[in-house]
Amino acid sequence: MWTLSIDDTESIAIGAGILGTGGGGNPYLGKIRMQRLLREGYSVNIIDLDDLADDALVAEVGGMGAPTVGVEKLPKGDESKLALEALEAYVGKQIDAIICAEIGGANSIEPLVAGAMMNKPVLDADAMGRAFPEMQMSTHFIAGVKCVPAAMVDEKGNQIIFGNMVDSYALEKFARDLCVLMGCRSTLALPVMVGEQVRRTSVRRTLSLAKQVGDAVRHARQVKSSMVDAVLNVTTGTELFSGKLIDVQRRTVAGFARGQLVAEGLNQYRGDYLHIAFQNENLVAWRGDRDTRDQVIACVPDLICMLETETGEPITTEQLRYGLRVTVLGIPCTDKLRTPEALKVVGPAAFGYPEVTFNPMPKIAGRGIE
Amino acid sequence: MTKRQIGVQEIEDIALGAAVLGTGGGGDPYIGKLMATEAVRRHGPVELVTLDEVGDDEMSVAIAMMGAPTVMVEKMPGGNECVEAFNAVQSFLGRPIQYVYSIEAGGINSTIPITLAAQLHKPMIDMDGMGRAFPEIQMVTQSLFGITATPFTMADEKGNSAVLSTIDNRWMETFARNIAVNMGATAHIAAYAASGKQQKEAAVYGTLSLAEKIGRTIRESRAAHVDVIAALREVTGGFIVFHGKLVDVRRQTVAGFARGEAILEGIGEDAGSQMSIQFQNENLMASRNGEIVVSVPDLITMVEEDTGEPITTEQLRYGFRVLVLSIPSHPHWRSAKALEVVGPRYFGYDIDYVPVEQRFKA
Repeated sequence: MWTLSIDDTESIAIGAGILGTGGGGNPYLGKIRMQRLLREGYSVNIIDLDDLADDALVAEVGGMGAPTVGVEKLPKGDESKLALEALEAYVGKQIDAIICAEIGGANSIEPLVAGAMMNKPVLDADAMGRAFPEMQMSTHFIAGVKCVPAAMVDEKGNQIIFGNMVDSYALEKFARDLCVLMGCRSTLALPVMVGEQVRRTSVRRTLSLAKQVGDAVRHARQVKSSMVDAVLNVTTGTELFSGKLIDVQRRTVAGFARGQLVAEGLNQYRGDYLHIAFQNENLVAWRGDRDTRDQVIACVPDLICMLETETGEPITTEQLRYGLRVTVLGIPCTDKLRTPEALKVVGPAAFGYPEVTFNPMPKIAGRGIE
Repeated sequence: MTKRQIGVQEIEDIALGAAVLGTGGGGDPYIGKLMATEAVRRHGPVELVTLDEVGDDEMSVAIAMMGAPTVMVEKMPGGNECVEAFNAVQSFLGRPIQYVYSIEAGGINSTIPITLAAQLHKPMIDMDGMGRAFPEIQMVTQSLFGITATPFTMADEKGNSAVLSTIDNRWMETFARNIAVNMGATAHIAAYAASGKQQKEAAVYGTLSLAEKIGRTIRESRAAHVDVIAALREVTGGFIVFHGKLVDVRRQTVAGFARGEAILEGIGEDAGSQMSIQFQNENLMASRNGEIVVSVPDLITMVEEDTGEPITTEQLRYGFRVLVLSIPSHPHWRSAKALEVVGPRYFGYDIDYVPVEQRFKA
């Protein structure tokens, strides 16, 4: 168990921003909210999955919405507390611990904010080992954990609780439309799980991993060594590309930031081009010519992470723009997302790329995302 | 006032009268009637009380179906949705609810609560929240008098359910409508729970018994072969605004509503003239030769010229010979505040509301 410090938050924001594969919400906003709470005297403990009692009650907390809106429409501040309280009132029980739904810039930190405000511990784990755009894309729900009850709130004070849903695809459909009506920003707390389920179906130690990635980047900056090497040393995986963004097409559609980008290779990648398609998160990366996608070099569920070449700072979807110098890393995902059942939900076909074959990146036992 | 019972014959009459009050919308009464009839046959008749018999502290909740009438005629309910919705409100409020009421006695929502009341052996109150049908959730007199729709519970036939709590009733319409569309354009709801004291101030009194009286009048007039239309006009206090044949209907199901226009070619005294009736589930505006002659909140209903059978939006088709009947709205709907909610401007017509009785003679 560790108690979150301001310095930890600095690192988690960077690490979660990188592991968020372009989505998960803006890390900077998440960071300053958490650091302000810590300076005000709030505290939050991060506990290991193994420290959780079998019958402890756990809920995920996180924001939903288009990241392109999230950078402009700021939260009121107490949404995750209200969402959790609504969930607790609905079931008539207290939640014992909070878990991240995903590792992503803001959504790794929002649960910490909730934990601090409500004096509840946050688990060192999440339900993806990365970020994903849709609710059914969760190791919990893929493993059969019920996605309800689910509480959804907005900054205006509106509140909706789903008591029962046919499945997590249905929950995604209902919640996404309502999120758009709420102004493309809402906060959810769901479901009510027991410790045993959470231990069995979550991705372990991802908050620690995010912190380690952030620590590595910050250290490398300080001593002026390779930030890419520093990250890959923690996460395993490879550098896929380095270059300059020369084209970005992005639209906020149905509550998502959808689009594609092209990067022109620099240094050893000169003459090559990289194409990435995204839906909040980066989905598929191809190498090719300026206008053609010749070869898939990485795809979901593996992670395609973009850093600013100079600073190692993670680049999120809403920040993409012409001229940015970027380095793209491929990081192997958790084994929990590589099963046949999981691939139906989070493989390339589920995102509209049935022609893309998922070739899992090699993993090293005991390192990276478990 | 004495207590009454809603049995099979009453349901028959209520469904018919409610279709008149439904102003073209409110859902096909036939399906609601079948369900309610089956429920009272199985569970016994439903007790109907008047508001003065309800204790100030006793609670009532409105039960309804929400969605597009064009879908309701095809997608049948499962049967248990209203019970779930009712139980969810009771649970959320943390106190028992003694009465069930209709939020909208125009259309299917006159009989949907009867089905639930029978299933749960609860009495109904002779009232509603509109005195007619309206397309949106905040268009109820309870809302005008400050009663919140929260907690608003929804359930569908697949097992999906939700409870909504919003900062005002207009937000409730926005979210609930979207959920209803995603439930397949029909959903069962329980909402606007209120105390006897609140209802005594806010409700439209006597709408269920009025619907029953209208239906009985039509039925008895037909059986006696007397002028159904004249009897209908008298029992409703309404005005015959046009006599014509339907020559064109445009209708689209959009965002959970059936929107469109019906064009009538004049017959008899109205020969040579044309009437256009615009609807959004319910009939909103009636224009004669391009000039608006009746508008919301007054009621506009088309009835078949011989039988007096009211015609719903989804039943409209070429060749029907109809009389357009307009009934003055309940006084609650005529205040400046009410007209902001249900007047012509809310629906996009930049005209001032003129009560039908100022334009037409009985």
